[in-house]
Parts: sequence; structure tokens; C-alpha cells
Amino acid sequence: MEIDIKRIAKLAKLSIPDEKVEKFQKEMEGIIQMVENLPNLDTKGALVDPDNTMELRKDEVQPSYPRDEMLKNAPTTAAGCVMIPKVVE
Amino acid sequence: MNNNYEIVVGLEVHAELSTKTKIFCGCKNEFGAEVNTNVCPVCMGLPGTLPVLNEQVVEYAIKMGHALNCKINGTTKQDRKNYFYPDLPKSYQISQFDIPLCENGYLDVLVGEEVKRIGVTRIHIEEDAGKLIHDDTLGGTLADYNRCGVPLIEIVSEPDIRSADEAKAYLDTIHSILLYLGISDAKMQEGSVRCDVNVSVRPVGSKEFGTRVEMKNVNSFSAAHRAITYEAKRQIKVLEKGGEIQQETRKWDDAKGVNVILRTKEDAQDYRYFPDPDLLTFIVSQEKIDQLKSEIPELPVAKTMRYMSDYGLSRAESELLAINKNTADFFEECVNLKKCEPKSIANWILGDIFKVVNERKCEIKDLAITSKNLVEMISLIENKTISNAAGKTVLEVIIDNDKDPKEIVKEKGLAQVSDTSALLAIVEKVLSKNEKAVADYKAGKTNVIGFLVGQCMKESRGQGNPAMLKDMVIAEIEK
Repeated sequence: MEIDIKRIAKLAKLSIPDEKVEKFQKEMEGIIQMVENLPNLDTKGALVDPDNTMELRKDEVQPSYPRDEMLKNAPTTAAGCVMIPKVVE
Repeated sequence: MNNNYEIVVGLEVHAELSTKTKIFCGCKNEFGAEVNTNVCPVCMGLPGTLPVLNEQVVEYAIKMGHALNCKINGTTKQDRKNYFYPDLPKSYQISQFDIPLCENGYLDVLVGEEVKRIGVTRIHIEEDAGKLIHDDTLGGTLADYNRCGVPLIEIVSEPDIRSADEAKAYLDTIHSILLYLGISDAKMQEGSVRCDVNVSVRPVGSKEFGTRVEMKNVNSFSAAHRAITYEAKRQIKVLEKGGEIQQETRKWDDAKGVNVILRTKEDAQDYRYFPDPDLLTFIVSQEKIDQLKSEIPELPVAKTMRYMSDYGLSRAESELLAINKNTADFFEECVNLKKCEPKSIANWILGDIFKVVNERKCEIKDLAITSKNLVEMISLIENKTISNAAGKTVLEVIIDNDKDPKEIVKEKGLAQVSDTSALLAIVEKVLSKNEKAVADYKAGKTNVIGFLVGQCMKESRGQGNPAMLKDMVIAEIEK
């Protein structure tokens, strides 16, 4: 893939000295190539980490929060609910 | 249905688990609570909160996995499924993507007289979303987050289902198993079991699958049957006209019996799954997995088969008894008392008791009837102390009262009269009153015997022994 470092730099509002263009060009091509290869990797199970696991929680009820407290951040509420713009599916 | 086509169906069943608390926080998992009272910063998805997985959810899901003959993945993780909808406050649902807790299973179901094996692709755990309340009197939509974080299992079948009947049998069996395992209330009317239906059709004999259409909003198993039948017909009609099936999602409208397009393939969501960084890998030991397996009770299809072979019941009778755990438990309690024939017990349960259960829309366990009293009543019939008709009178009492049938027989004077001289008097009286019937019998119309015995039973106020009466009526006429 052709990479125009000067254009990218302009879009990102970065100033890159001419002598570094070639360096960035190479690095950027490396990044693009890596991303292009991602779909070909078999990632199934690769992200499981059996050496770093979590404990599970017992199924015991803890008090919930007061409703008023929970609704404080909502811009609009009505009838104990968060009111949102009309949704129809 | 056009016989040149074969229907191919795959089903996704979502079942809410009946844990005490939600999947990632200690809020109550409870249906019908006052809006937004079972909520906390975790289930409302406030920034900076951390979910902690409920152990019971994992155990329940593994039990379902065992019941559906799955491989259990003891080392797994959870992933985020990203989509925007206001019932989902985090804008992602915590689910499982590439390593479901259970996979590669199957379920054998009874379809008519056949056993059909349906593959189960996977069962994974995830959280439910909240509920939107649409109210025209308000300028907006209301969001109730009580259901957010209620634990769900999603059971995905292989596209092995070939008819609406098979789909219905599969769904009924899954529903029954959820109740047998005691892991879900499985109440359709409360939405605790929901299903998405994938339907395609292909020419008979074809190896390739046709393009599939997904149907949402299928709210009951009988609706699933109707929705599948409708969609298959629709697709066949399109193909017959030389058209093509589009991969799309359609919404089933059960009241109108039609479906309408919801979104096309172009609008399909990209869920951008990735491992949830707030939750680490979790491990369930092989020991625990084995222990959960040992806790699986005998399941409905196996029970049906056993009732047929051990008790000589028909397939239909066995299935009716086995599909409902309450009924099966009651039936087996009665059988285990070993005082009367299993076949008689089945007849009484499926006949007179089911009539009451259906009228009152309840379960056997909601009635006062005990296995001991039912069996006592049946054995009184079997040893000829009372007639079948008197048995019904006793049942009317014991269905709502824990009372000894022997007492009832004594109080109501229901004991069957087998005393020949008493019965003979009745027979003579009936025959003298019905000379025409007697003449008919002599002229060869022997079926009037039923009428004459009926008259004798009536005369004896239901207490005569019908078999003896019949013999005596014939003997008297032919004398």
C-alpha cells in the first residue's frame, strides 16, 4: 500500500522534517502490513490466560442502590425510569 | 406445503437462569419488581465499576451442557458484544464469543414415533438487557434496568431441524429439561425463555443450504411452529417465481400471522467482539465438571422410553407424563408404592386429574391429592371394593382433601354390592321394566346389554359390580 507520509502529517497537523519522512514511511508500512495480516491469524483461544485467572462470586444477594441515587445522572426521568428519546423497532 | 422443497431450521434459545442474584453483581434476580429498584452501578454500567462473575451461573450453564451432551470448556473467558440500544446501558453485552462454556452436543427428541437427533452447536453465558416501556402519553421511551444483568444461557442448535413439528418438539424438550434441572423458571409469559428462528429451504436432495432468514419476536413455542410454517411457504413462493431469497432479519407478528422485514444484510450489525478486559480467564476444575454431571437427573426423553418399556404405556401416555417434572414425580411416587398397576395410575392421572389441572390451570403439586390416597382409591377399584364410577366420586373428594379413601367409601356408602341376592333383585326389576329391550336381545340385538347393565347400575346407585351384573342379566334373559 502506497503511503503518503506528508499528507498524513498534514491531516494530523504534525510537522515532520524532510529527513525523517523516509523513516516514518518505513515504520508506517510495517504497521499497515501487520494490520493487513490480522484477519489471517488464528486467534481462537489465544487470548485465554490460564496463569492469570479470576475467582468467581457466591450467589448471595447484596443490597441494591436507592433508585433516586441511581437516576441522579439521567438528564430526564419519569415514573421511576430513565426517559430517552422515543425508540421504535 | 410444496413437497419439492425441504425446510431447514436452526434455533437459538435464550433462557434466564433462576439464580438469586444477577450475573455480575449482587442485585436480586427477580421478575416483576418495582422499576429500577434492583439496580446498582455495576448493572447500570456506570464508568469505573467492575463486574464479578456469579459462580452459580457457571454451574447452571454446565448442567445444561451435560444435559445436552456437550463438551465442557473448563478454561474459558468472556467477551464484549458491542451494539447501541438504550436497553443496554454499557453499549456492550458481556457474552462469550470464540470459547463458549459448552459446545458440540446433541439432543434426542421424540417426533411422532421417531427419535430425532438434533445437534447443539454451543451454549454460552451472557447478561440480559433492560426493558423499554413505550408509552404514547409521554414524549419519550422509558427504560427500566431491573433486567440488566439477569443471567442468560443461549443454546444454539445446528441446522438439523427439518420441519415445524421437529422444531416444536425440540423447544418443548429444552423447556422441560430446564425445569428438570431446576435452573430456570422457563416461564414463556414472563419472557424467561425466548427464541430466534433461522429458516431456509432447499430443493429435496440438495446438499447445499439455501439462504437463511432470521426471525425475531417469536414469543412462544406454538408461535415458533406458525412462524416456521409461514416463512418456509414464503420462501418457496419466492423461489417458485424465479426469485432469490435475501439474507435478512424479519419480525414475526403472531397476531396477524405474518412477518415483516426488520433489516437487510447490509444493515447487519458488526458486533466487534473482543475479550472483556474487566474479566479474566476463569477455570472450572474437571472435578467440579464431573460432580455437576453426577447431579443430572433422569431427563424427559429417557423417562418416556422407560415408561414405555417398564410399564407398558403407549408413547403418547409416557410422553405426557414425562414432559412435566411435577407430573412425572407424582406418577413415580404412586408407582413406587407398589399397590396397583402403573397403567391404572397413568389412566387416572391423564384422565380425571389432568381434567382438573387443565380447568384450574395449575400443576398436580398445587392440588391436595397425595400419591398415597390416589393409590389407595385405585386399589379399592382393583380389589373390587368399589366400582369405577364410585372411584370418580372418591377422587372428587381426595383431589382437594387429604382424606383416607376407605373412610370416604364408608361415609358415602360407596362399597360395591357383590351380594348375588341383592343384585338379582335389581336385575329382575330392571328386566321387568324393559320388556322391549329384552325382546330385542332375544331377537339378536345383543348390544342392548349395555343399556340394561347401565339401568342396573343406576338402580344400584353406582354400587353394583358391573361385571357381575352383566353376567346375571344375560343369564336371566337366557334362562
